[in-house]
Amino acid sequence: MPVPELFVTFYEVFMQTYKGFLEAGLLTIEITAIAVVIGTILGIIFALMKISHSKILQTIANLYITLIRGTPLIVQIMFLYFGITSIIVLENFWAGAIALGVHNGAYIAEIFRGSIQGIDRGQREASLALGMNRSQTMRRIVFPQALRRAIPPLGNQFIITLKDSSLVYVIGVSELFGVANRVAASNFKQFETFLVVGLYYLILVLIFTALLKWYENKLDVDK
Amino acid sequence: MIKAENVHKSFGKLEVLKGIDMEVHPGEVVVLVGVSGSGKSTFLRCLNFLELTNEGVITIDGKRVNQKKDDLSKVRAEVGMVFQHFNLFPHKTVLENVMEAPIMVKKVAKSKAKTTALEILGKVGLSDKADVYPNKLSGGQKQRVAIARALAMEPKALLFDEPTSALDPELVGEVLQVMKDLADEGMTMVVVTHEMKFAKEVADRVIMLNEGVIIEDADPDTFFNHSTNERTRQFLEMVNV
Repeated sequence: MPVPELFVTFYEVFMQTYKGFLEAGLLTIEITAIAVVIGTILGIIFALMKISHSKILQTIANLYITLIRGTPLIVQIMFLYFGITSIIVLENFWAGAIALGVHNGAYIAEIFRGSIQGIDRGQREASLALGMNRSQTMRRIVFPQALRRAIPPLGNQFIITLKDSSLVYVIGVSELFGVANRVAASNFKQFETFLVVGLYYLILVLIFTALLKWYENKLDVDK
Repeated sequence: MIKAENVHKSFGKLEVLKGIDMEVHPGEVVVLVGVSGSGKSTFLRCLNFLELTNEGVITIDGKRVNQKKDDLSKVRAEVGMVFQHFNLFPHKTVLENVMEAPIMVKKVAKSKAKTTALEILGKVGLSDKADVYPNKLSGGQKQRVAIARALAMEPKALLFDEPTSALDPELVGEVLQVMKDLADEGMTMVVVTHEMKFAKEVADRVIMLNEGVIIEDADPDTFFNHSTNERTRQFLEMVNV
């Protein structure tokens, strides 16, 4: 009877590893959170550069976005890890989180740019017609509306970040996937181990999705 | 109050305004009419510098505006504008919509801005909607809020860009009534509209634009009843008056 047997070994693996995985899960959440913060800050900066009237700033932003989108995340992680650690001493945890953040910044910049440019022209005109200057118009009228519009795609991007954080195992960070890899190598129950770690990711994503939905609903009610 | 001299405006190769001269005196209500594409909306937008002219001079309240050097925000703060599609700020309540510019531009204290805003909302008959978001309002109510929002800046003149064109027919009246009240109070107004009844009853002058030039500038009685201009008569026949 292979099916009950699978359940049994699955349960065994789960019970043997959950302590280690809880710690690793915390690390996954930390890396994701740091990457999201860095990515959002970079995203705002580069989105503003892209919509600015300065050709130089636009070019810099385009270069950044093209480079990041044009190369695999795993290459960026390796590049940053070995590139930066040759100059300054950096824990692999921080190298991974920063790489993930810089990677996300490019995608988040595009999300913000799209949501800013998606705001009806009439909003800007009405604000300018009232005597508000360009910066007041952006700050008070355009950005708050754009931010609301950016929340669903941002949430999506954050979920991708959470899952992509697994790639920092290549520089030896003991997050969920890194631990799973090591566990599987020692207990030889690869199938069950990766099933368990997959479940952890799924649970994290579901929790985050629920939080996001709650927040979106709250915003809708406010309006 | 508002003076336009030799205003030219092109979009690419298309010349929309081909030299417009017009003066609006304090307290005057000027209605701009013309077929679509005649340039009337573009001209109105030039008066508030939402479009910059390619040539010509616009003088607001005795001050020649230099489009390149002057702070256009300051000029715009003195001339209000009401749009066809209202353009209310959807993330702000009715009250916040009206308070926003006085606080941000005129640096009015919040409490004073609120008192004034409520007063103006009362004037347009919407005191009870102060805390509502714009998406809960009818088109007519939205446009009255937009007028209140412009009035809160205590403008020297108000520009209306087809204020009733996006409204259901039964809602047009309430907006026109507010505009009529403003005219009676002596507000200087330039109105682009297809409401000929409003032009007849409220306007001091009716100006007809055609292909980017003014072809008639007359008092309503002359315009509607005694015009000798071929184009004007064709236009009036078309709009059925």
